[in-house]
Amino acid sequence: IFLFENHFKTVFPEIFCLFASVLLLIYGVLYARIHQANADTLRRKMKIFPPIMVNHVSLLVILAFLLTLILMFNNPIMHATIFYNTLVCDDLIFFCKILIICSALLSVCISLDYVRKQALNAFEYIILLLLATCSMLFLISSADMISMYLAIELQSLCFYVLAAFKRNSEFSTEAGLKYFVLGAFSSGVLLFGCSLIYGFTGITNFSELTKIFSCTGENQHFTGALIGMIFVAVGFLFKITAVPFHTWAPDVYEGSPTSVTAFFAITPKIAILGLFVRLFESSFYDLNTEAAFSLQLGTTQGVSTTFNKLLSMEFTSTLPWQKIFLFCSIASMIVGALGAMNQKKIKRLLAYSSIGHVGYFLIGLCCGTVEGIQALLINLIIYLVMTINIFAIILSPVRRDFVHSVQRIKYISDLSVLFKTNPILAITLAVNFFSMAGLPPLAGFWGKYYLLFSAFSCELYLVAIVGGLATVLSCVYYIRLVHISYFEKIQNRLIFERVPKINGWILAITFFFILFLFVSPGATRRS
Amino acid sequence: MSILVSIIFIPIIGALILFFVPNWKTQLIKNIALNVSCLNFLMSLLLWIYFDHSTAKFQFSQTIYSESLSFTIAIDGISLFFIILTTFLVPVCILVGWKTISNYVKEYCIAFLILETLMIAVFCMLDLLLFYVFFESVLIPMFIIIGVWGSRERKIRAAYQFFIYTLFGSIIMLLGILIIYLQTGTTDYQILYTTEFSEKRQIIIWATFFASFAVKVPMIPVHIWLPEAHVEAPTAGSVILAGILLKLGTYGFLRFSIPLFPYASMYFTPLLYTMSIIAIIYTSFTTIRQVDLKKIIAYSSVAHMNIVIIGLFSMNSIGIEGSIMLMLSHGIVSPALFLCVGVLYDRYKTRLCRYYGGCVHTMPIFCILFCLFTMANIALPLTANFVGELLVFQGVFCNNTLVAFLSATSMICSGGYSLLAYGRVAYGSCKPYYIRSFSDLSRREFFMFIPFVVVTLWLGVTPQCFLDAMHCSVANILNI
Repeated sequence: IFLFENHFKTVFPEIFCLFASVLLLIYGVLYARIHQANADTLRRKMKIFPPIMVNHVSLLVILAFLLTLILMFNNPIMHATIFYNTLVCDDLIFFCKILIICSALLSVCISLDYVRKQALNAFEYIILLLLATCSMLFLISSADMISMYLAIELQSLCFYVLAAFKRNSEFSTEAGLKYFVLGAFSSGVLLFGCSLIYGFTGITNFSELTKIFSCTGENQHFTGALIGMIFVAVGFLFKITAVPFHTWAPDVYEGSPTSVTAFFAITPKIAILGLFVRLFESSFYDLNTEAAFSLQLGTTQGVSTTFNKLLSMEFTSTLPWQKIFLFCSIASMIVGALGAMNQKKIKRLLAYSSIGHVGYFLIGLCCGTVEGIQALLINLIIYLVMTINIFAIILSPVRRDFVHSVQRIKYISDLSVLFKTNPILAITLAVNFFSMAGLPPLAGFWGKYYLLFSAFSCELYLVAIVGGLATVLSCVYYIRLVHISYFEKIQNRLIFERVPKINGWILAITFFFILFLFVSPGATRRS
Repeated sequence: MSILVSIIFIPIIGALILFFVPNWKTQLIKNIALNVSCLNFLMSLLLWIYFDHSTAKFQFSQTIYSESLSFTIAIDGISLFFIILTTFLVPVCILVGWKTISNYVKEYCIAFLILETLMIAVFCMLDLLLFYVFFESVLIPMFIIIGVWGSRERKIRAAYQFFIYTLFGSIIMLLGILIIYLQTGTTDYQILYTTEFSEKRQIIIWATFFASFAVKVPMIPVHIWLPEAHVEAPTAGSVILAGILLKLGTYGFLRFSIPLFPYASMYFTPLLYTMSIIAIIYTSFTTIRQVDLKKIIAYSSVAHMNIVIIGLFSMNSIGIEGSIMLMLSHGIVSPALFLCVGVLYDRYKTRLCRYYGGCVHTMPIFCILFCLFTMANIALPLTANFVGELLVFQGVFCNNTLVAFLSATSMICSGGYSLLAYGRVAYGSCKPYYIRSFSDLSRREFFMFIPFVVVTLWLGVTPQCFLDAMHCSVANILNI
């Protein structure tokens, strides 16, 4: 019997995904030429540039996603530690994987029409999405520093290419460059953190790290490991655009093609937050810091305790990483809300709004309790649905007066015609914005409610209060969007074309999800 | 299926039917909406008929269990009349827009039906969290009603203010709810009612609730949104705003703050008295110098709602019953006044006093009705407000004479501003610019006013049949 027999069974969906991307790549490369010839004749005849290949491949990619999803649900082995402790599977990971595949699937679906109309004439684009998703599946189930780093790099590499995909557009290339430089830098920080941890403990495996940190007594300190942990956290916070490390996000969101932005906004966050949960809630959970800090910063003891008190009032058993995340979470919520206020472009606004949402996710993370993680996961689902909904609208085609080329909503003021020309879209958008703002009967409220509840239950009062107030702040600009789409006078006439069918379906489903989640808000909780 | 559940669901079903009616059949849409809301009104009267006066128990209760969510809807003597008031006002809202609303008719009707469901749900929800949910969700339809069908350019600003103010208060309340939930592990009202909270915690939670309710009431520093929202809202929006939404805050005080946190309520009573008295005197004087008719009525609502607050915190059953009566009568009289202003606005297209005058010569029937409601607003004996105010002052007098004295100045002030406004509209010589453009009430408008006249006099002449229903529940709240 082959040694790894069962191991390969466990990662069958990932393997399928990987093979699918390779096969599709081969298919694409081989047949692109033929299709190109066809397209050339078409172009000569009818003056249009149909990216035939992209259509084929993207349909196949959607199929591949669906099959992966099916395989994922039918996987015989759900709980396992495999490949010499480099990969694990459990319920949390399974859940995150499903979420990742769903979000990737949906974001490809809603951008089909965009790709077609925008004539992104290269099928690699869609295959890179598949590959990135695949690497995220590996990322989430990695149980070792090395496999984690490799997976994260594979994913980031795909993203760098994707961000700079529109080679004709200066914005896109600039976004790609920025993303590459900062992403590489953050990967470097991450790698340095990993190496510090390895250097001071001699271990790269997550479960071993758990053991070694939980076994240490009062006198043993892992100062080096602690610093390593901070570096790892910083590297990750870069990737999910938490606040002190968020500067690249608005530029990259705005510059890269909208279909890619839709993908960026959701999927990597799910993967990395899933990994966060595993890494910080289990591995670094017992990392003893109080002693280490008091040893190192003997003089600044007073400062650190007041800082402690400030962040979590009466909180006694601070977890080591909690302070970092608390700070980032508070800062993200505030900066997200304030930054979005005077944005004119919709994608930049969504970037800031996602920064704010990351702040909320981090609340759930720094609770360090079961409720916190549950709330985090629920929020991820709700965020996924809301973001898909918004991007499904942004990605649907519009036409400007006197300009015959198909365009997309770019500025916020472009929404101003929505209620006049397309009331149903306007209602969908309004409900979605209300939900993002956290208005009660809608889905977004329940997400925030669970988060605030979990923050309260572990006595993180400050962060809960800031979270509440940031909701009001963020309301200001969400309401502005609703106001623009409903009440504003028309400035530049835009004519909506038909919303693509698949976008329409996705919009409808997500709309009803947002609207009627309150009928049974616990439905998300069961998982 | 109890009556209560069907009352909640009838408007929603009506709204669903409207979704499938094509946009251009406006007459059909209006008819459906009116019939549905009238049906709901009749159903809500059934509640009153089957209501058992002799108990403080929650009646018509329907408990919904699911794996994630279990809550009870039920009513007692306090919420009964608020539900009836809601169902009473919604048909009027649809009727008042019969001619004047010409764009987005379908959306108008749907918005009001959904609003009706939400408001009824607020009043019968016995779960703190879900109370909060519905309490807040009223914001969304209201925001759209003010913004879309409002009358002037400032409407957007008004809608904004309304939204942000209310949301800000209520988010703080959510934190209070979370504190409660953490202590007790439930948000069910009937369980919370039997729970003891420590005094320090009571004060904190009470303050968080206060932040939300004070905005809705509105108390003095946070009342700015109200005149703005009223002036910019369409007539029907003002009717709902004055009739129901202002009652949400006082209802919240009565339902949650007083019985759940008796210690904190006692602790904060002086603060509330002070704020309310300042509000009463300040807004009464502010009203006198307003020139916009709607603003006059809006400010007078602020004064009246603050009298309600004083009555609630008099902590005896006379004062509380008076407050409830005053809420009800204000819920009748103030919407009626807004309807009057709406009628004027439809003809004159302005709301500023200086363009009016001599309406008596041209619109006699209207002036009679307007006079009646103005008198009711002053709290003339035999009209609705009088009973409420009398009971409130009587209740407060037992508790604190000075407060009773100061708050009774509102009697004088309200006479001042109401009569001034009425005189400017009705008396004097006709203004020549508008001499051709008036007409007296149409038949629809007249029928719209009739129920208000009847209820105003009924409340004023035989208040006993209203008070009977609430005795037991009020006594229960006070733990007598």
